[in-house]
Amino acid sequence: MRNFAAVLLFSLVTIGFFTWFSNFGIPQVDPAPPPKEEKLDLGAMTMEQFTALGERVYKGKGTCTLCHSALGGRAPLLQEAGAISKERLADERYKGEAEDMAGYLYESMVKPSAFVVEGFGKAGSSDTVSPMPDVSGGSVGLSDAEMKSVVAYLQKLGGYEITVEIPKDAVPETEEEATSRAPFKTAEAAIAEFACGACHKVAGEEGEVGPDLRKIGRLRDRSYLRRSILDPNAEISKGFEKDQMPADYGEQMYAKELEMIVEYLAALK
Amino acid sequence: MAMLPRIPRLLQAVLTVAVIYGGFRLVFDAILGQPIPASLMTMYMFFIVAGVFMVFTFTEESAREMVVPIRALVEDPSRKPIRNLVFVLVPLAAGGLTYMKMLPSFEAPLELRSIHPAPPTTVELYGKRFDLLKLENPFRKLEKADPEKFRELVAEGGAVYIANCQYCHGDKLDGKGPYAAALNPVPLNFQDIGTIAQLQESYLFWRIATGGPGLPKEGAPWLSSMPVWQEFLEEDEIWKVILFLYDYTGHRPRSWGHE
Amino acid sequence: MARLLGGLLLVVLAVTLLPGDWPAVDSGLTQSAFAQGAAKTETATAGIAAPKLTPDDYPRIAGVNGRIVVWLVAQLHLWFAAFVLAVPIFVFIIEAIGMSTRDKRYDDMAYEFIKISIAAYSLTAILGGFLVFSLIIFYPHVIQYLGAIFKDTMFYYALLFFLESAALYLYYYGWQWLQGGFRKWVHLTLGLVLNAAGTMLMFLANGWLTFMMSPAGIDPGGIFTGDVWTALHNHLWNPINIHRMVANVAYGGSIVGAYAAFKFLAATRAEERAHYDWMGYTANFIAISALLPLPFAGYYLAAEIYAYSQQMGITLMGGIFAWLFIIQAVLIGTLFLSANYYLWCGMARSEGAARYNRYIKYLAFVIVAAFLVWFTPHTLVLTNEELKALGGPYHKYLGPLGIMPAKNTAVNVMILFTALSFLIYRRANRIAMVGWAKAGNAVQVALFSAGIANIFFLGIYHGYFTNTVYKVASSIPQVITTLVVIAASIVIDAMMYRGAKEVAPLRWGRVPERAQYALFLLAVAFTWLMGLMGYIRSGIRQHWHVVGVFRDNSPDAFTPTLGYAANVVSVGTIIFMAMVIFVFWLSQVSAVKTTPAGFWKEQAS
Repeated sequence: MRNFAAVLLFSLVTIGFFTWFSNFGIPQVDPAPPPKEEKLDLGAMTMEQFTALGERVYKGKGTCTLCHSALGGRAPLLQEAGAISKERLADERYKGEAEDMAGYLYESMVKPSAFVVEGFGKAGSSDTVSPMPDVSGGSVGLSDAEMKSVVAYLQKLGGYEITVEIPKDAVPETEEEATSRAPFKTAEAAIAEFACGACHKVAGEEGEVGPDLRKIGRLRDRSYLRRSILDPNAEISKGFEKDQMPADYGEQMYAKELEMIVEYLAALK
Repeated sequence: MAMLPRIPRLLQAVLTVAVIYGGFRLVFDAILGQPIPASLMTMYMFFIVAGVFMVFTFTEESAREMVVPIRALVEDPSRKPIRNLVFVLVPLAAGGLTYMKMLPSFEAPLELRSIHPAPPTTVELYGKRFDLLKLENPFRKLEKADPEKFRELVAEGGAVYIANCQYCHGDKLDGKGPYAAALNPVPLNFQDIGTIAQLQESYLFWRIATGGPGLPKEGAPWLSSMPVWQEFLEEDEIWKVILFLYDYTGHRPRSWGHE
Repeated sequence: MARLLGGLLLVVLAVTLLPGDWPAVDSGLTQSAFAQGAAKTETATAGIAAPKLTPDDYPRIAGVNGRIVVWLVAQLHLWFAAFVLAVPIFVFIIEAIGMSTRDKRYDDMAYEFIKISIAAYSLTAILGGFLVFSLIIFYPHVIQYLGAIFKDTMFYYALLFFLESAALYLYYYGWQWLQGGFRKWVHLTLGLVLNAAGTMLMFLANGWLTFMMSPAGIDPGGIFTGDVWTALHNHLWNPINIHRMVANVAYGGSIVGAYAAFKFLAATRAEERAHYDWMGYTANFIAISALLPLPFAGYYLAAEIYAYSQQMGITLMGGIFAWLFIIQAVLIGTLFLSANYYLWCGMARSEGAARYNRYIKYLAFVIVAAFLVWFTPHTLVLTNEELKALGGPYHKYLGPLGIMPAKNTAVNVMILFTALSFLIYRRANRIAMVGWAKAGNAVQVALFSAGIANIFFLGIYHGYFTNTVYKVASSIPQVITTLVVIAASIVIDAMMYRGAKEVAPLRWGRVPERAQYALFLLAVAFTWLMGLMGYIRSGIRQHWHVVGVFRDNSPDAFTPTLGYAANVVSVGTIIFMAMVIFVFWLSQVSAVKTTPAGFWKEQAS
């Protein structure tokens, strides 16, 4: 027993030392809280504000400066990006479709490999593949408006006329939902509230714009239905048009509600 | 030759630790003039004590020899006076240390500083855009082309320095000006090899022109009280001061040409 | 037995009870034939979209912090899993050694290793079930999303789990039955099956968690469109597999070592002491052998994280987690120091070792010095006084030690000298009889000197006098140098000491009790270190469930301070220790017999 107590004490003292060191032996850095997902109000923006937004995106959310900085040397510097874009567009190695400076800058964000500056390609690709991710997706996830604002910022940085336009209609004017809205109790209530029936035939409503949902459970499985709500343009049923259904139901609905609606639709047979 | 008495193992161990500690202090504090910070020193010594303990106890005889004096102190009746003394002194010392540690002081709390705030690639000053990567001191080329004119410019820079900078950075450029003691972080010592000698002139231009408020976000928390000199000095005056800084200290600005 | 079954049931229950509406699970079951046909043409590409959650989508139950519960349970499961995966690996090896040398002692020791860990298997399963439950309770949508992607692997996971359990039972309960000749071969094969099943289990689970770090099969819109294999075979899968494999062995060795150490301390008879001393030595040997290559596996993992995402790499090494590596340095330093100390103490087992005693202090000096370099942070914590004394926040002489080339050099030197400690221990009691012993010695000295010189050259020249590209690249030849020197010197040593003369009989059991505490230190530090590194592995995802695809919007999405994380790890370590003590206690309680006087009716016979 005495041995046991001694060993126990020894182990606890050891753990205590590690704990002490982690708490007091090193400085406690409080990591920044997760970035907020910003909603843009583009309607009332001047070009200056739009460019300033671009700068914020460039230095913040876009994480561009991680690589595009003098310090790292991992990616080309962008101060002169505007000037060089003409040469780039004329270069025979250029694989993109852009025709002007703004188009080139925008394209380089979504298709970084369209032109890879010498020496900055992925190792082993002899400068054909860029190590830069498509910033419209992945963990950066910039919206169209945000990328255009970065283009505006880059044009200003080089001292050029800003040719990119502020997208007016990119963000649908939805009423800001109060964040503490109580979730709807039933699928019917949710469907009524989200006005699905305005376009679809569902729950007694007779919308004409979208597909008939009255027997949708026979045709589609749950994963398809879920995707159709989150990303309506992923696949368009025959005879219907793209871009008709709002793409932000994923943000508006609680996950519970989404599941309820999917469940409800899947059961329609 | 008289045999020296063998030093007891315990004392040997204590002496070893003491010698290493003294060595650190001697080398870093006295000879190199760059003391080891206390937080790091504590951990260094902790592991040095652990290492010495390991060396002195890995054989049974040596370990026993280490313990004998301690055991004797506690158990030997003839050591009673020393024992009583130790048993009084140790708690007193512990109490004293705790007291000193808890005593409120005027020392500002510790802050982590980024040592090298990365400069931006371009900066807007005097209503113009400067590319810091390519920016050079416009007067530097005169050093070879027109030494007389260059000396003149250095002297003018010196005048600007004395009128504006020496209050904090000192008349010897050693960071010990009359106001220095009141500042935190301390004014930079330009004589030190680790400061302007490691930097390009464009970096100095940026730092002087934008001062403490111009430090980038990643340099925070950095409450430098350096003024924004572009509001007080002309562009040329800053370049002349930079000439003076290098000239007086004998350092050379860093440039990519030499590397 | 019942315990294991209970655990098994729990896991199976958990796996089958997972939300029944996994999208594709029932897609084939509920659709009519016609609809299925249509689905094939139209929905063949329907991917799995990550839900966008709000803080209200994370259940809050009775004020319990879901993240900490999941964190602790996952970590406990991982500790036990690492232990029970590692033990069969070296039990298998020890059994094979016993089989080829026909030394029964090896066989007995292997049996004892597996015996003491047997209760840990059911605890692992129980904790695994508990983990699934707590995930379902606190993160229902996350587990549902992952479940949808990995449903196939979960089936194989359950299957493999049955296979592993079956192999384990046969292996353990059949040990005494399957002895000698062909039967022994059968038994050894069982051990191989057990290990294969266990390793595959781990690989599957690794695939799930690496998918969360480096998702694969995701289209630019964030929809999962790949198949299970794409998801499993993501960028960080193999680096994690290798790292965990090696670390598990080292960890298992250290835990068994702690067991042997305790039994040694409690032993009353000389044979018992000798037995447990030998067991502790073997366990420590296993731990060190796996510990030496471990930093390299770690470098590989870190390099692959950089390669996958620079952003993640910078977060890991240069950002908020930079100070964590100073804590890690303290822990790994502790591991190296205690492992070395144990070897040095072990030299007391033989009379011949005294010859080498005087060299130990130099070894200690180098290892401690290398450790101090490794430990020196890049950014110093300075008081204002010190700031003034230094004339700035930068230390002229210690500053250069803070960067990577110095640390790489230090860790390679540390590994080399630990290997040297071991070589000296091996030689302690023997005298080489081959004619070329002198030359062999000289070659070894030359080998070590050249190796160390090369490591220093690479570290200092490339680290400080060339640009960044070489700085990083120079660590690879350093590692190769270290490995070559160790391998070559062991080979030379083995040949040189073939048929060597023993100075005096090796006396197992004649080792100071302090050495046993070194073994405890090894086990505790290892456990704590694993907890810490588990935190960072998971923590670099920051506010993402699945990086870049599935955002964590729970109130607990923030990254905690290191102190906070360390406190959780410490609590976990203490719980784990309590459970391990219970497991070890169980292993011996079956041997204890109590004969109560006058309790049972006397039977007339």
